[in-house]
Amino acid sequence: MKFRFTPCIAIAALALLPLLLDPRGYWIRVLTITLLFAAMAQAWNIVGGLANQISLGHAAFFGIGAYASTVLLLKFGISPWLGMLAGGALGGLAAFVIAIPTMRLQGHYFALATLAFGEVMRVIANVWTSLTGGPGGLSVPFVPPSFAAYSFKLLRPHAYIALVALVVVTAVFEMIRRGAMGYRLRAIRQNLPAAEVIGIDTTRVKLQAAVISGALTAMLGTLYVQLAVFFDPDTVFGIASISIRIALIAIIGGVGTAVGPILGAFFIIPLEELMNDLLSSRAAGLSQLVFGIILITVILWQPRGFVAAFTSLKATLARKGVP
Amino acid sequence: MSFLQAILDGLLIGGVYAVISIGLTLVYGVMGIVNFAQAEFLTIGMFVAWFAWAFLGLDPVMAAPLSFAVAFAIGWVVQGQLISRVLTAPSVAQIFLTVGILIVIENGSLLLFGSQFRSVTTSYQTASLSLGPLFVSIPYLIAFAMSLLSGIALWWFMRASWFGRAMRATAQNPSAARLMGIDAALMYKISFALGVGLTAFGGAVILPYVTVFPGVGSQFVVLMFTVVVLGGLGSVAGAVVGGLAVGVIQALSALFFPIQLQNLILFVVFILVLAVRPQGLIGASR
Amino acid sequence: MTTILDVRSVSRRFGGLQALSEVTFSVKPREIVGVIGPNGAGKTTLFSTLVGLIRPDTGSVSLDGKDLAGLKPHKVAGLGMTKTFQNVALFAESSVLDNVLTAGLLRHDVEAAREQALSCLDRVGLREVAGKLAGNLSFPERARVELARALCTAPKILLLDEVMAALNHAEMAEIMQLIRSLRDDGVTLLVVEHHMRAIMNICDRILVLNFGRLLADGTPEQVARDPVVIEAYLGRSVERLRR
Repeated sequence: MKFRFTPCIAIAALALLPLLLDPRGYWIRVLTITLLFAAMAQAWNIVGGLANQISLGHAAFFGIGAYASTVLLLKFGISPWLGMLAGGALGGLAAFVIAIPTMRLQGHYFALATLAFGEVMRVIANVWTSLTGGPGGLSVPFVPPSFAAYSFKLLRPHAYIALVALVVVTAVFEMIRRGAMGYRLRAIRQNLPAAEVIGIDTTRVKLQAAVISGALTAMLGTLYVQLAVFFDPDTVFGIASISIRIALIAIIGGVGTAVGPILGAFFIIPLEELMNDLLSSRAAGLSQLVFGIILITVILWQPRGFVAAFTSLKATLARKGVP
Repeated sequence: MSFLQAILDGLLIGGVYAVISIGLTLVYGVMGIVNFAQAEFLTIGMFVAWFAWAFLGLDPVMAAPLSFAVAFAIGWVVQGQLISRVLTAPSVAQIFLTVGILIVIENGSLLLFGSQFRSVTTSYQTASLSLGPLFVSIPYLIAFAMSLLSGIALWWFMRASWFGRAMRATAQNPSAARLMGIDAALMYKISFALGVGLTAFGGAVILPYVTVFPGVGSQFVVLMFTVVVLGGLGSVAGAVVGGLAVGVIQALSALFFPIQLQNLILFVVFILVLAVRPQGLIGASR
Repeated sequence: MTTILDVRSVSRRFGGLQALSEVTFSVKPREIVGVIGPNGAGKTTLFSTLVGLIRPDTGSVSLDGKDLAGLKPHKVAGLGMTKTFQNVALFAESSVLDNVLTAGLLRHDVEAAREQALSCLDRVGLREVAGKLAGNLSFPERARVELARALCTAPKILLLDEVMAALNHAEMAEIMQLIRSLRDDGVTLLVVEHHMRAIMNICDRILVLNFGRLLADGTPEQVARDPVVIEAYLGRSVERLRR
């Protein structure tokens, strides 16, 4: 892979940020959540952007990861790191299972099917109380701080873990996009019969993308609940709180690009936190309303998101002779 | 016996599900897009009816035409200003435009009306008729009757009126329809507005036995989609059959499973139909 | 001499239409076989069946002795048979090079596929437009890109579906020359065309289809003289060709 200057600067800047923020404070928490959602949106981007399979049910994988690691910890004392890997495997398996029957569905139908699947997982989590604690939710148990136990006194380590996660997921995204798989996915997206005829195993490629995306999303679920500690089916399997939000972030930022989900997350999450803070419970839903309006605006005016808006702005300025 | 009772209840409720969902299938049939925000118009219809009951003393069933009108107007504007712009855009844009509308309406309702639950009380809420050994719940019966009426009205509109035939023509072949002098943009507005209006109408009609709050629409989303997918996206007759089927499935599963699992059954049916026969049990594929 | 492609009794029905009916023929290595017939005769359906896009109701297709029953198109491509599409099925939002490169991925990694792609584009004379967006090219250029793309899978058998449509005489001559040179390199070709002169010129053999049935299978001269074929299809062109 080519060594690129800008991303390295950006990563370095992001890496410095947690050091500048109060390690116990509010903003480092916001940064961590932002990084996590950026990573989640990036994992979604693999199927939503590269494979053009619009999933409205990614919460299914997120929740699977969250519950897998927590249940393993609670019931067997297994370290969340291992639990994360287990969750990743389960998430990949779930993606495989949902991808097979929905393989041939197009656009809207596929979105509907994934929506339903996410809801199925949420209902199962609500009902299977002996395993998941039901609607009451679960809490990640307190353990003495240690890296191996994924337990920290301060929030800073969580931020760094989230940053590493974002870098990893983005690296996976870019490797897919630039590699053979990227070519194959673009072919499948544009003309499926032609792709088949020139030797692309379209089923296998789509499955691969789905499994990678599902596994990564599930692992991020573990990271999230280790930070949040308490969660319930509605938090981690929620359509609005997870599925729609990560897709929205990727789309507003620029679906199909590596930078898009990151831009989108850094715009949406801090804004949301700010609004919820300033307006508190009186304006519950105002931040969501604003995002709904932003989403509609982006779709109508620049469907390829902020990234494309910046690029065309640069082009316009270049044309007008602005250096 | 409870089996027969469940089937009866299921059919009555199913009729309403049909009316609620017809709009979804109508919009898909004419314009080719799935309106993810459709269930939000159910919420709108219910709120309109509730406020009519609270401030004007109108029985929800009487308020149903008002709900229809309000939703029709909103739908007209939404289609004209927003949806018309993505009719030729890739499905990503179409999906997320209606998702955006969903978010706006749901949170708008939250801001305007607050999160508390509201319900109506009517004189006939707990009344029922006896039909041999079976009970016919009056609210269900009235809801079913209203659905039947609106269904017949829709059928007449689609078959006999010029607008209805023009809509069907536009659905089958937009360019040919245009050549015949049919204004496609107008047809799209009418279909969309009619579709969401019917959903809102259905909302008003179920108010006697469902509590309204900003998130109530979301509870019906998968149900509505199951109805139309079972019957075939785009087929109005399919929505009727799908509605009845879903009503019966729901009622029967209530006999055997706790309420949470009933939804699960519906979702699984939904996924199975999508996987095995996406064009539905009846529907024509678009 | 052994055959590279064996088609036995292939039939396929779509609803009320019998698209292919007991089609049987064989092709020897390095033959150039023309496939002609009126519109709707089943030529494109035949090609789609050969590569596995459509499954035959009855009958079998064998490539190099290997039965292709139930194999998906990508497997058939792997075994060495691919086709071009009648109305050209390029990846319009990708560059010309990327279109061809993607086909090269069947047998190479990205870097090697790029090399292959460039040489395939050279072969069809489109190297200069490698960087252009495929959707921006003219129709004849796109047909040639599609040919290059098919070539990049290193096929043993290449099925060309009306690759000379909308070409002028000079362009047609180029393509005909290309087809001959491909044969010299060891590729077997089946060519659907409506341009009679081209077909008669380059083909060793011609298959005539009508209403899904194989009417004739022979050399250009034999086919031109076959009364059944004349009656069904060739009509007056035969008299002109004879003179």
